[in-house]
Amino acid sequence: MPLHVNLYHEIQHQELARRRDPLRLGMIGLAVIAAGFVAYYCVVLERSHLVGMQYEQLQDEFSRLDPKAKAAKERQDELNDEITASQTMMQNVDGRFYWAPVLDQILKSVPRNVQLTHVGAMSGPSGATNTLSISGISSAIEPRKEAEALRTALAARLATKFKGVTATFKNLEDSEEFVMLDGRRLATATFTIEFQLQPKDPGDAPAAAPARKPKLVADE
Amino acid sequence: MKLEQEQIKKIFLSVLLLIALLYCYFTFLLGPVQQGEKTANNGIAAVIPQITDAKKQISRTAALETQAPDAIAFLNNLKDTIPDGEPIAWFPPKMSDFFKSHGIEKCTTHMLSEADDAMPGFKKLVWTIDLPKVDFVPLGIAISSLENEEPLLTIVNVSIDATREDAQYQHATLTVTTLVKS
Repeated sequence: MPLHVNLYHEIQHQELARRRDPLRLGMIGLAVIAAGFVAYYCVVLERSHLVGMQYEQLQDEFSRLDPKAKAAKERQDELNDEITASQTMMQNVDGRFYWAPVLDQILKSVPRNVQLTHVGAMSGPSGATNTLSISGISSAIEPRKEAEALRTALAARLATKFKGVTATFKNLEDSEEFVMLDGRRLATATFTIEFQLQPKDPGDAPAAAPARKPKLVADE
Repeated sequence: MKLEQEQIKKIFLSVLLLIALLYCYFTFLLGPVQQGEKTANNGIAAVIPQITDAKKQISRTAALETQAPDAIAFLNNLKDTIPDGEPIAWFPPKMSDFFKSHGIEKCTTHMLSEADDAMPGFKKLVWTIDLPKVDFVPLGIAISSLENEEPLLTIVNVSIDATREDAQYQHATLTVTTLVKS
């Protein structure tokens, strides 16, 4: 085997030592890490920039919408006030008690042998009980029965149009006077009947006007 | 491999430099950027609900604008039925004309009281309408018309009495309330 002498031994050794220099390796490692940090910084910076732009856009949008929203709120308050006032007014109008239908029922209920001397009607507050009072003279063989018939008949008629109808005699007295009706002499009784009634619905519409005339004692 | 004294010094210095660089990197570069991003994110989280609320408010008002005209027109129409001027000047003649148009010639109207109504911009007046000579049927028709034609008028009391002076007629008194502009 021939003797082999490596004359480059020293140079190769130095080259190897240079390549394995810890400082050099450390610098390369640091450079890689630094590059990573820079790259990460760039990513974060870009992301932050995008978020910042989005925020600015949203702020611009809000600054455009905010005055409109405030104006809209004021307008909404105005409209709500007007709508509330309108609804209150509508309730007031619809909640009124109409007396024409009551007068119509009186007209239809009074028989020819009963004469009214007074009709009084009084409205309570909206939705409350209303009072109707009728006074008159009934003439018949049994005038008290005639007055009772009027009370029940009128109460029944009113009950078809109103709720909570009650009818009570406040006064029912035999009279000493007699009247002539259809050629017969009939006894008389004076009476006062009070009715309590409530509207069935707030929007009860008034009925048609009375069609015929009741007999009042002054008609005689 | 044994490190030389000089190399140990260099490594130590390098480590110190690295620590300083890392500190600067996180404190002066990455920190402010991340802080800015966080602030922006918080701002976005806060402003999005505000934008949503603003849009909702605008759409609510727009919806109300479409519903309101009917209600407002109703109120305005009612207001338009109220004549201008003092009610004492126009209400009694109005009632006289009304009952005349229903065949009731004699009509006297007096104001009983005046009070503010619950409705802002309105006041409630109480009147008594005296009809000394009425027939029952025309009176019933007139009351029916009055209740139908005058939505701001409420009849609170009706009194009809037979009169002995004239057998044909009765004496009626109505107590009514009206709403007028205050």
